[in-house]
Amino acid sequence: MSLITEIEAMRLAAINDFNNAADVSSLEKSKSVWLGANGKITSLMKQLGSLPKEERPSAGKAINAIKNALESVLAEKRAELELKLSLPKNPTDFTLPGRRRRLGKLHPLIRTTDDIVRSFRKIGFAVAEGPEVEDDYHCFDALNTPPDHPARDTQDTFYIAADNTNTSKIATVGNASNPLLLRTHTSPVQVRVMEKQKPPIRIIVPGRVYRRDNADATHNPTFHQVEGLYVDKNVTVGDLKGTVEFVFQELMGPETKIRFRPHYFSYTEPSFEIDFSSPLTRKMGKEWLEIAGCGMVHPQVFENVGYNPEEWTGWAFGFGIERIAMIRYGINDIRLFYENDIRFLRQF
Amino acid sequence: MKVTLNWLKKYVDFDWSADELAERLTMLGLEVESITKVGGELEGVVIAQVITRDKHPNADKLSVCKVFDGKTERQIVCGANNFKPGDKVPLILPGYFLPSTGNKPAEQIKVGKIRGAESYGMMCSPNELGVPGDASGLLILPDDAPVGKPFAEYIGKAETDFVYDLEITPNRPDLNSVIGIAREISAVSGNPLKIPVIPQLNVDSKNPIGKYIEVKLEAPDLCPRYVARVVRGVKITQSPDWLRNILEKVGLRPINNVVDVTNFVMLETGQPLHAFDYHLISENQNGLHTIIVRKAVDGELFVTLDEKKHTLSSEMLLIADLEKAIALAGVMGGLNSEIKDTTEDVLIESAYFNPANVRRTSKALGLRTDASYRFERGIDINGCIYASLRCAQLILETAGGKLCEGVVDACATTITQKKITVRTSKVNEILGLQLKPEEIEFYLTRLGLKPVPKAKPVGVEISDAATTFQIPTFRIDLKREIDLIEEVARLYGVDKIPSTPPRGAIGFNNFDSIYNQIDEVRTILTGMGLDEAQGQTLISETAAKLVEQQNYVMVANPLSSDMNTLRPSLLPGLLDSLRHNISHKNYDVGLFEVGKNFRREAGFVKESRRVGIAITGCRIEPFWQGAERDEKYDIFDLKGIIEEFFDNFGIKGVVYNKANQEDSLFFEYAEISLGGKIRLGRIGQAHPKLTRTYDLRDPVYLAELDLDAILLKRNTTRIYKPLPQFPGIRRDVAMIVPESVTHDSILQVIKKAKPKHLEEVQLFDIFRGKNIPPDHKSMAYGFIYRSDERTLTDAEVNQTHNSLVEEIKTKIPATIRDA
Repeated sequence: MSLITEIEAMRLAAINDFNNAADVSSLEKSKSVWLGANGKITSLMKQLGSLPKEERPSAGKAINAIKNALESVLAEKRAELELKLSLPKNPTDFTLPGRRRRLGKLHPLIRTTDDIVRSFRKIGFAVAEGPEVEDDYHCFDALNTPPDHPARDTQDTFYIAADNTNTSKIATVGNASNPLLLRTHTSPVQVRVMEKQKPPIRIIVPGRVYRRDNADATHNPTFHQVEGLYVDKNVTVGDLKGTVEFVFQELMGPETKIRFRPHYFSYTEPSFEIDFSSPLTRKMGKEWLEIAGCGMVHPQVFENVGYNPEEWTGWAFGFGIERIAMIRYGINDIRLFYENDIRFLRQF
Repeated sequence: MKVTLNWLKKYVDFDWSADELAERLTMLGLEVESITKVGGELEGVVIAQVITRDKHPNADKLSVCKVFDGKTERQIVCGANNFKPGDKVPLILPGYFLPSTGNKPAEQIKVGKIRGAESYGMMCSPNELGVPGDASGLLILPDDAPVGKPFAEYIGKAETDFVYDLEITPNRPDLNSVIGIAREISAVSGNPLKIPVIPQLNVDSKNPIGKYIEVKLEAPDLCPRYVARVVRGVKITQSPDWLRNILEKVGLRPINNVVDVTNFVMLETGQPLHAFDYHLISENQNGLHTIIVRKAVDGELFVTLDEKKHTLSSEMLLIADLEKAIALAGVMGGLNSEIKDTTEDVLIESAYFNPANVRRTSKALGLRTDASYRFERGIDINGCIYASLRCAQLILETAGGKLCEGVVDACATTITQKKITVRTSKVNEILGLQLKPEEIEFYLTRLGLKPVPKAKPVGVEISDAATTFQIPTFRIDLKREIDLIEEVARLYGVDKIPSTPPRGAIGFNNFDSIYNQIDEVRTILTGMGLDEAQGQTLISETAAKLVEQQNYVMVANPLSSDMNTLRPSLLPGLLDSLRHNISHKNYDVGLFEVGKNFRREAGFVKESRRVGIAITGCRIEPFWQGAERDEKYDIFDLKGIIEEFFDNFGIKGVVYNKANQEDSLFFEYAEISLGGKIRLGRIGQAHPKLTRTYDLRDPVYLAELDLDAILLKRNTTRIYKPLPQFPGIRRDVAMIVPESVTHDSILQVIKKAKPKHLEEVQLFDIFRGKNIPPDHKSMAYGFIYRSDERTLTDAEVNQTHNSLVEEIKTKIPATIRDA
């Protein structure tokens, strides 16, 4: 058998061998069998010396050609096997649930507050805050609430105990007639901000407030309100209406309609209650739903903080955040907000 | 306050439907809580007169008639025979229902053609209306039956009426009366208010009242006016139907004619009245009965007419005679002087009592009555006389008797009418309108305010025009200019004031940026998979004591001991939320809350903002493969959250110092601080003894951060650091150290050694067990050396590294494990 024939036979055998390799390691084994230092092709090279001198160049060329050819087959096969290795072993079921990286949820009251704040900020309002433990003066007197006003009913207000051993004694600030209490509304922040800042004022105040109600589906001793206050020159009822309409349309959708009804609050005059009407209220079976109270800041309140009511006018309004969130999301029990059941929280 | 449509119509004309009236009242500020329809049998049936009667062109037995219904003439096709032109008959109008009779359902009358002739209604037989009479033909009414009158009313059946339940705001006591509400309707409709005119009464001029009664005001500040009249010779019976009906409609129980009249007049005028049996008031030796309005004596006992015994205090006002108290002023009469079936002579009281005093008495005794409700809001001190006379008139009409001539009017005050000036410019400034002075005057005079005549202004611009008004005494809410502006707004109609798009100043407040920063906290924490909670501010004292032994803040008037303390920390609330979740089988929970807590500090209540975090249960979301899926949270999950939070929020140099001992909240915990100086919070594992009492089954990890301190120390500036140009060289070391050696102490040794080019130290393994002595652990660190000027050589890194390892060996001390 001529060397050439032998070489051709080896080539076919090697290719076959390579192609039969099931994985990279057996391919490497085959490589050493054929192309390794003691491999069959290498030893063939070593036999070259035994050939007649004139045959050597052509035989050497042929061996080299085969070696190169085998190297490329080997590379191709290796690439093929490596690719195979990196492919999934089993077909993927894309309907299987994924490995979730869960995001936490914002509390629905906070989400609602944020939306309210965002609407107000769009039209130039800044967020303000004030203490939750308030004094009687800021909560009532400064807001023109007379001592006998039903809102001052001690039945409805939590007072702070002077000390923890004799809790029936009420803590006071300054003088004995100024008891400390948990604020019953966010309106005292109006007073605190006006005491500190000169007009114009354009603030929105979200925060916790407290009423002495036992918890039931519509009451919780702790709840949230938002207060808006705008004081400037030539502020009118028309401005109040325009802003309320803007904010509620932002909040409850463009189809929202707003109605003002005359009402009474001691710290505004004229005072109004605000009803709104939208597909949401109609879903609840009502054309109009009461949603907020508002009015022009009472001149007495301006006088109490040292503003001249002849120079400045303004309006304020306030509403409950729970109520808005309950209407928006169709929540029927206020206590859900404070239980923090994750099955509830994760719905928003 | 309840009022009915028909009742209102007696005082003012209007032709609004029931719903229109509700709408009008609502927009005036009288919120309608409900409307209830009452009566209304035979609705739509009116008395009509037949004008012509002709034979139906297409039917022998029918006739085509022209009928007048009081308003218009209608063509009616009729099958009856017993009538002629001129007869008066009941006519049912189209759209209304004939009453159902027997098993025949109510039938609606429609406009229709009968054999080609149109018929606009139907003339009725007694049968069809369900009234007695000859069933064979139409019900022919007497000649004097008034055409157009509702038939039901004509035969004495209850007319249709609507009862409105109105919410009266506390500033408008004048609206606690039918006349007051009618006045609003009069103002908005422009139709005059018709206050009942008292006719000439049956007065006993031989017996003037001075012979019977005298009144002494001993506490004129609490009772500045007391008006008394006496009616003699009454007969106590049931009230007439009209009176009983009206009281029943608005929810009052009729009692007898005299008491019912006092109630009726109270509802009508807003003036509470009381009727005493005159003879149960003691008399002096001259036969004169004395009413003394005095304060009670501390501890004085009094039985009110609901047969309840009350112990009074000296702040309470009484109506008394010479011997005894006979009424609790403004609240309720006494059992000892009430009107009985045998009462013959009646004393009518019509007084003004101090609102605050009535309120206090009524609250202290837990006695709320229609009278106290009105007195405590403030009644019209000028209305006492009229109400007393109106009451006398109706007693005479319903119970007979004679009115003693004259009236006792004990009045300790001069009644003045306030004057308020309103400027046109201010009205327009507030309302955003361009009203003229005449328009303002027009609205205000409709409410009973009277412009005070003034000299005609000379050379004054019209926009500065001002008018002064005299305020009627019943409008105690009108105190200054702004109050009149509100009245203008109400009558003009708030709905007609145009809205102006938002405009004006840009707001400013220091808190504004804090609000955003709090939002950032929320974004970071929700990003790490925690859900946001909102806890109760009020918690139990026991729960508060978990975190604060002394300086917590209690409520003086708590609703319950579960909620008697302002939370000194967010953690007890979060534990409550965990308990709620675990008890509802939500075992894997990670919650945070951003909120305020409250502590006493130097005699003040200090509010500060905190972030609380609580985690328990499984670390990862449920998945269907992998060994890690059942792994529970451990403390390093929570610490990782805190570290990631600080890193992202811009807080550097945070250290964690382990506390020496457990406390009631934590089994193990560390104080978090900046360099051991500025406290930032605590982190730890909740004490299993505690979590067991909360029914929590898995370990619970808690952290609370002081957000106010964090906000102060926050540094959000970021400066770009060039990326490394040269490769780093890493050397790993595993060392065996006693359990007591902390990671931080090793870091400190490394830091002090100041190894050259050391860029980073990574702890990559802690191992206990095989080949490690007891109470020891192996800690493996990787050290990365890098220069930002050149590539380091192995030799120089080895030199630095070896001396660092020697330093650790001796200072810790540690045994180095062979690699």
